Amino acid sequence: MRLWLTPVIWIAFLCALAALLPTMAPLFSWVESGTGNLIYTRDSFYTLLQSHIWLVLASATMGTLVAVSAGIFVTRPAGRDFMPLVSQMASIGQTVPPVAVLALAVPAMGFGEKPTLFALVLYGLLPILRNTLAGLGGINPAVLDSAKGMGMSSVQVLFKVELPLAGRVILAGIRTSVTINIATAAIGSTIGARTLGDPVIAGLVNGNTAYVLQGAILIGLLALATDSVFEAIERTWASAFSARTHKA
Amino acid sequence: MSSSTGLPNRVIPVLALAAFVSVWLLNLGVVQPNRIVAGTGYGLFGATGWLGAGIVSSLLCVVVVLAAKPIRNRFWVLALLLTAALMSLPLLLEVFALRKLPADSAYARIGIGAGFWCLAFFLALMLLETLSQLKASRRLQLSVVLLVAAGWWLCAAREGLSSLSLIREYANRADQFSQALTVHLSLSIGAVAISAVLAFGLALAMVRRERLRRPLLGLVSFMQTIPSLALFGLLIAPLGALSAAFPALQALGIRGIGWAPALLALIAYSLLPMVRNTYVALMEVPEPVVDAGRGMGMSERQVFLQVKLPLALPVIMEGVRITTIQAIGLTAVAALIGAGGFGTFIFQGLGQAAMDLVLLGALPTVFLALAADAILSALKFQETPS
Repeated sequence: MRLWLTPVIWIAFLCALAALLPTMAPLFSWVESGTGNLIYTRDSFYTLLQSHIWLVLASATMGTLVAVSAGIFVTRPAGRDFMPLVSQMASIGQTVPPVAVLALAVPAMGFGEKPTLFALVLYGLLPILRNTLAGLGGINPAVLDSAKGMGMSSVQVLFKVELPLAGRVILAGIRTSVTINIATAAIGSTIGARTLGDPVIAGLVNGNTAYVLQGAILIGLLALATDSVFEAIERTWASAFSARTHKA
Repeated sequence: MSSSTGLPNRVIPVLALAAFVSVWLLNLGVVQPNRIVAGTGYGLFGATGWLGAGIVSSLLCVVVVLAAKPIRNRFWVLALLLTAALMSLPLLLEVFALRKLPADSAYARIGIGAGFWCLAFFLALMLLETLSQLKASRRLQLSVVLLVAAGWWLCAAREGLSSLSLIREYANRADQFSQALTVHLSLSIGAVAISAVLAFGLALAMVRRERLRRPLLGLVSFMQTIPSLALFGLLIAPLGALSAAFPALQALGIRGIGWAPALLALIAYSLLPMVRNTYVALMEVPEPVVDAGRGMGMSERQVFLQVKLPLALPVIMEGVRITTIQAIGLTAVAALIGAGGFGTFIFQGLGQAAMDLVLLGALPTVFLALAADAILSALKFQETPS
């Protein structure tokens, strides 16, 4: 349980700050001497935080589903022909900068949440796909043979042996993907998605440093909180696994 | 030659089918009366008539047949066919412009539709699959890429495509474009170079003092976790305050907005992959090799320069490659704080809803990243001791 203390503290801090930022106007008068507003008010920080998290969560879920099923498909006998192409696509695709994917989604789909979500799913599935391939490919063939030898069907081998063994590597891929997507979603406010990037962009356009800081602080905190959640999940996973092997 | 060359290939027909469906269902091109107004879309048949539609469709059919029949050397034929098709793909747009562009309007332009991009994408994937079936050498892969690039370059330079809106946007901004290229390259290469030097020092310190390892790695991975937009934003206030306090800094161009915060943030992001790879590379040099060097009477300095460093170089270069690709993408984001580079076109285009300006920024950014990847992996390849 102590593993989860750090993420809980980060999340509490993030929520508290999102709620309390509007009352901190005097603090921001230090950086913004102009006569303009000191607090971003177009949307509440809470709304922006919610919509940012929703975008990242939705894209991570869809990306994981697509990437893991694609990874499973190309490692089965039926899909093995597609393996070289898919793994090359995953590595070449990651060379393309995420901001370019975001920008290119606009001519194809217009402005708003939809192209942002599309770009996040598309780019976010690449690290998950690569790690799924690495995780499934890295399993010792002897383990698979012995599972088959125990009379397991290929579906049982997949769900009871392969996926649990590859799980940590896949989880690491999801973590990379979510880290990238939190950053890309923030830039998504330039193409009309409502995210914590809004105050930063509005501040940059109007020359209001207070807005920029408010957005930047919340985005940074969101990233750190999410990262600590993944840290805790990874450790929980690891300890659950070592416990199971001890029992066996 | 691989054993699978005799078997029917299932990947290429699937890709060809996808190309066929998308090129017939989606718009190949758009005719716009001017820069901002959304134009009228034309499908493959409407845009290029019987001739164009026939050539494209029969090409895809030939590709499917070739992939499915166990003919000898068919992958070489496929590679030639697909390379030629990709090279001459812009000619489709030229035919489209010839047929559909109103001759009387000076502002009319043609835009590239989703169908064209899909066709190009699937043709490229088929070529990729063909080359991997041929187990093509790096040199062959590179020459194919260069051939295709040369083909597109030649097509773009022709009179027939001067009405393409992407080329119009470029022609209006040729000076700004080359300036953006210079700024983009110098910011990203500068950040990579500075962080390489810094990371080398940090990694050496970590190798010498094991105690420093955890805090240093923690610090650089903390930096990597902060999203780019947030880090750029967080640097504005302190740098702004610094330049307000010291006019000398302001004279140097160090302000809250501009290249200074961009460069600082880029360096901060580059540190994690650099430090990690350099440290791992130096630690992984096998101890017996180092001992052998010492046994030959080398000084510690010689052991480091002549044994450890050359052996560590491939892994260090991998760090440089990852960092450079990342820096090229982040430099585009840095345009938001006024750093310049191709991101300027992207965000200007988004602001004006001028999609071709967005493309004019995004496509070169993608191209730079891919080129950096190709060049640096070629270097790494050469330096790997066989």
